[in-house]
Order: sequence, then structure tokens, then C-alpha cells
Amino acid sequence: MRVVLASAHRYADLARLWYRFVARDLAPALRATGAGVEVVLFRDAAPDAFDPRHFPGATLLAPGPFARDFLEFYDAALQREGDVLFLLDADLFVLDGAWAASFLARFTDPSVAAVSLLRRTEHPGVYALLARSSAYRGLPAPALAPSYEGLGTAVPVNRQPGDCAAIALRSTGLEILDVPASEAEGRVSDFHGTTVIRASREVFGASLGPRFDALLSEKPYFAMGAYDNLLLGELHRAVFGAPFAPDANGVHLAGSATEESLRAALSRVSDRKALARFLAYADRSNRAAAGLFAKEGLPFAPPRLLPRPRAWGARAWGIARRVAGRPD
Amino acid sequence: MTDPAPAALVLERGEFRHQEKFGPGAVNRGAVLLECTWDGGVFESGVMLGGVFRSGTFRGGVFLGGVWLSGTWVAGDWEHGFGPDGAYRPRTDHP
Repeated sequence: MRVVLASAHRYADLARLWYRFVARDLAPALRATGAGVEVVLFRDAAPDAFDPRHFPGATLLAPGPFARDFLEFYDAALQREGDVLFLLDADLFVLDGAWAASFLARFTDPSVAAVSLLRRTEHPGVYALLARSSAYRGLPAPALAPSYEGLGTAVPVNRQPGDCAAIALRSTGLEILDVPASEAEGRVSDFHGTTVIRASREVFGASLGPRFDALLSEKPYFAMGAYDNLLLGELHRAVFGAPFAPDANGVHLAGSATEESLRAALSRVSDRKALARFLAYADRSNRAAAGLFAKEGLPFAPPRLLPRPRAWGARAWGIARRVAGRPD
Repeated sequence: MTDPAPAALVLERGEFRHQEKFGPGAVNRGAVLLECTWDGGVFESGVMLGGVFRSGTFRGGVFLGGVWLSGTWVAGDWEHGFGPDGAYRPRTDHP
């Protein structure tokens, strides 16, 4: 069996961290099953920023006619020589390589089209998807692209990458196995929105000026991405001794949000529900980060972004809402 | 010969708008529009982040993740988005 492990990255520092875990834990575990493994990194925006010495053994690709951006890359990766395409998100880390590799055995069953190690939405997506290449290649191209259905109707549906393929394959009777979240807990470290906030600051941060930082207190997804970058940045700095998500001046995290700017943004959040949700999210991220730090033999201490009484108050309020059956 | 009518609304650099609708009298000169509907004005610069471009002219700026239903594309950076048929259109594949 030949496995193509493919991932698209916009930022070289995150890619370097991601590849450290892949090269040390995941790829060897896949090879230990007897599989041949090719690791393919798509450098989505600034290919020259990726130092090839940081990715020994990997195939580094750049945008071109075969894949103009990261979403087209998914289908391009499907065309590479292999039996299983293992798509893994840029901010997703497999801590237990042997566990992930064990799912290759499921492909001895011809009715299995894919195994999803992590689902974030209704459908399996492509976050951590082991896909039988022949099954996906049999779909109309582009098989893995996102799309809209029902444009012009009252309720258009936005299909995420991989959704249409999953629906089509399941409709033919093939199976896509969803690994339960409880089984993946502790074996996969999952972060969210880490690239979105950096790309957003890159594309329109300068034109918004100070207004950009205000978005951290208004848009939960930005705050979550910023928080996850804080955690990953701490690990990156400890492991590589280099700043993470720097701005043009090289300031650590200024290309995302510094700890100070995130703290200031959270101090402006007056909505208790929003604050409770953020803290619940941060707890989840802390567990994910603790796994990464433990793998590196490093101590982990979550950053304290809120005064303790305020954090306790928001947490207590969130718990009370959940107990009352009104989590949102 | 008369001068063209002045724009009814000029969006400037530094502005951030969310889930708003802009009609034929609007001109964007640098604002960031998140999940907005553009219906008839002139998009000179700025960022269309998600949302729907129903009609109008795109002369410059960045189109990122939105749906292009109709209108005239003159220039700008198509980062990615969706066409009127709902199909994905990757970077540089502008209408």
C-alpha cells in the first residue's frame, strides 16, 4: 500500500512545527505498517518562505496550473500515485501515530471509501481524512472542492471541502467511517482558525489599522485563532528558538495577535455568553496544547488572559447555563 | 454634457462593515466588507470577504471567499470564491 500524506500550508513556521510531528511520529508509524509513504506539503502563498532544510524527506509543492490554491491542491493530491490519500489540516497534529496508522487496515474492506479521524461539521470534511484514492478519483472532478447548492433559493447550502464527495460516495453504498471524538481525544491535537487570523491580518490588517484588533473582541473566531496561535507560538519558540507569526518587524505573534492585544480585546468583551464560550474553547485548546508540549517533554502553562475573578465568574455562568440545558 | 452624479455612499479605508447591503450609489475605496451584499455600485479597492456580489463593477481590491452572481469584473485580486452556478473558482480564476 502506498500512502500520500498531504497538507496545505500558508505559513512556514506552522508548517515546520506540523512537519516535526509528522516526521517523528506519524510517517514512521504509517511506514511501520508496511506502507510506502510520501509526505507532500503545498506552500500556498509564499513558497520561498519555506526553507527546504526544515522539511527533510518531504515533497514541497507550490501553486501552479495543476493547483492554483490550497483547495485545488486537494484534488491535485488525489492524482498522485497512491492507494490512500491522507489529508491532514495545517493546524492538526496527530499525537498517536500508531493509532492513526491502525486505520489503514480498514481499507482491506472494499466497502470502506474513507476514514475520518476528526469531524468538525455534519460531514467528515478533509481535516484528517484517509481516503481510498480510487474511490475518490471515480467521482466527477473536482471531487473535493467546496461549493454552493441552491444559490438563488431562500436557503443556499455551503458545502465544505470533501462534503460533496462524502455524500456521493455514501449514496453508492460505500462507507466513510467516522472515528468518535471520544476515541480521538488525546490522540489528535486540533486547533482552529490559526491561519485565518494571520491571513486576514495580512490581507486587510493594514487597511483597517487599530480597527483590526477590535475584531478580536467582536468575532469569536478571530479570538479563538489568536488564542491557538498563542499556544502554538509558545511551543514554536521553545522548540525552535524563533518567533512565531511575526509581523514585518519580526515581533512574535504580531502577525496574529500578541498576548497583550488579545488580553486587551477580552477585557472589552461585555457579553458573558461570548466570554464563557471563549473560555470553554480555550480549555479545549489548552488540552490540545498540553499534548503537544508533553510530546516535546516541555512543561505547559496556559496563558492567563483574564483577571481570575472575571474568569471564574464567566466559567460559573457558562456551567450554570449548561446545567440548565441552555449552553448557547 | 453633465458630470456623473456623485456617489451616495463612499466607503473608505479603515472602515469595517458586516452583513450590510450596498446599492448602486455605493463606491468602495478601501473598506473591508464581511459577509455583505454588493448590488450595483463600484468596488474600487478594499476587501470583499465572503458575501454576495450581485451586480456592479469590480475595478480593484480583493475578492475572497464570496459568491459572484453577476456584474462586471475589470481588475483586482481574485483570491478565491464561487461562481453563479455555485462552483468553486480558485485563485486568479475571476469572472
